[in-house]
Amino acid sequence: MKTTMKRKGLIFYLRIYGKILAQDLKSKMSYRADFIISTIGMIFTNIAGFVSFWILFRNFSSINGWGYYEMLFLYGFSLVSLTPVQCFFDNNWSLRQYVYSGDFIKYCFRPINLFFYFQSEVFDIKGLGQLAFGIGTIAYSWANMDLPFDALMLLKLIVFMLTASLIMISLQNAAAATCFWIQNSFYVLDLVFRFKDYAKYPVTIFSPVFRFIFTFVFPIAFIAYYPSLVILRPDEVPILSWLSPVIGVIFFFISYKIWMYGATKYSGTGS
Amino acid sequence: MNLRKYLTLTRAGIIESLQFRLSFLVMVIGNILYLIVVYFLWKAIYDSAETDIVNGMTFTDTLIYIVLASALFSFMEMYIVWEIGRSIQSGKIVLDLLKPMDYRRYLFWSYSGTFVSQFFLTFMPTFIAVSIATGGAIPLGMNLLYFAVSVVMSVSINYSIDFFTGTICLYTESIWGINIMKQVIVLLLSGATIPLAFFPEPLKTIMYYLPFQSIYNAPLSLLLDGNPEPQKVLITLGTQLLWCIVMLVISRVFWKISLRQITVNGG
Repeated sequence: MKTTMKRKGLIFYLRIYGKILAQDLKSKMSYRADFIISTIGMIFTNIAGFVSFWILFRNFSSINGWGYYEMLFLYGFSLVSLTPVQCFFDNNWSLRQYVYSGDFIKYCFRPINLFFYFQSEVFDIKGLGQLAFGIGTIAYSWANMDLPFDALMLLKLIVFMLTASLIMISLQNAAAATCFWIQNSFYVLDLVFRFKDYAKYPVTIFSPVFRFIFTFVFPIAFIAYYPSLVILRPDEVPILSWLSPVIGVIFFFISYKIWMYGATKYSGTGS
Repeated sequence: MNLRKYLTLTRAGIIESLQFRLSFLVMVIGNILYLIVVYFLWKAIYDSAETDIVNGMTFTDTLIYIVLASALFSFMEMYIVWEIGRSIQSGKIVLDLLKPMDYRRYLFWSYSGTFVSQFFLTFMPTFIAVSIATGGAIPLGMNLLYFAVSVVMSVSINYSIDFFTGTICLYTESIWGINIMKQVIVLLLSGATIPLAFFPEPLKTIMYYLPFQSIYNAPLSLLLDGNPEPQKVLITLGTQLLWCIVMLVISRVFWKISLRQITVNGG
């Protein structure tokens, strides 16, 4: 059983994803009002985030040696790298309800990867608004900083963003997976979700102990700070920045293992 | 009004919320982490400023303001919009409406137990922690009494706004979107994210005319002022009382009108 599952290639999974995605979008479109209101809600969140940022910098010209446009870049970077978790992994929020009600068992009986099947079921379109907002913010701050722009820079930016996004995905996977052991994982998820808001600040504002914690234990510094240094401060890139893609992959792998381990321990509700 | 039946709901709520001890632990850890982040963030911000006092607020003022705003938030957030929205979607609302108690009151009192436990488990520890961490920077005098009175009215205004927002769900079948809009507006315009004093001028004046600042800014500015002028206290509390009544009436009337909209599939 296990070996046949392994043999199914990437193409197979992409095709399946496309099919499931189409179904999900169809069902979403039948609740058009909800879709429109949620999108407006997402835009509201981004505007409010930007407004509070702007008010802060009206009162203080820099934070810890970071100017307005640099901070804006970090902010935009964090928005973009938080998009994949919003778009592709939103079903994590429902995991605890499936586990609690027993409906989770339906995912266990498909001949495809359990984690993949579960996550593919929901695609959250709202995230695309955030993506657009983030790209706009980055472009605006980039244009105001006299940073050079060429193909290599763009490639770096994309690679580091993609790997940075893995960090938040991992944190959310692990947080959602706690529901296999504890009853109400909402608080854990909510905690992780709230902390992503602090990813947009440079980790240098913390004391060494907490710098360590936010780098290795609760790695929100990899969501925007470390990868951004490669673009923003190319002359003084610490080794951790170059390592951030690797760290992203490692954290993702660990979180995937935790999630799957929890899922295999799942014994259903008996009904 | 028979208080006993309401207090029964309160008691049930306390017992229910104490069931989830693990989630309580997670919440405490979350709050501690949050305090740390906020402390360092604002410290860095103030260190970068040329002066110690920005917009009439020192670093400790701002710290107390921000930290207690978030403690107030976790104490007042009752997920009412979700509760009403879900009841509408599942049809459970019909059963709630049949109860021999006004729905608005029923909802409030069944959550009041969470208030009590959250107050002692979240708000008080945060208050004490911040008071000690800032070396007793919170003045302890009559302002505590004003603060307490003010918070009671904050809870009322906040509940009215939540209930109003929840009522919108009768029309829209969207919970997440409606709730996030409300949350964003309330948190930003009440000064919970950034103290009201930091806002630029025309915006600040507008905010003073809106009900939101009565939720967070009013109690917190009363608390931070060790020597309040009686006139200022009266104006702040009076404004809050006015908003209490206005929002109560609006949310009640809106609910009455909207009830005609209810359609429940099957059941």
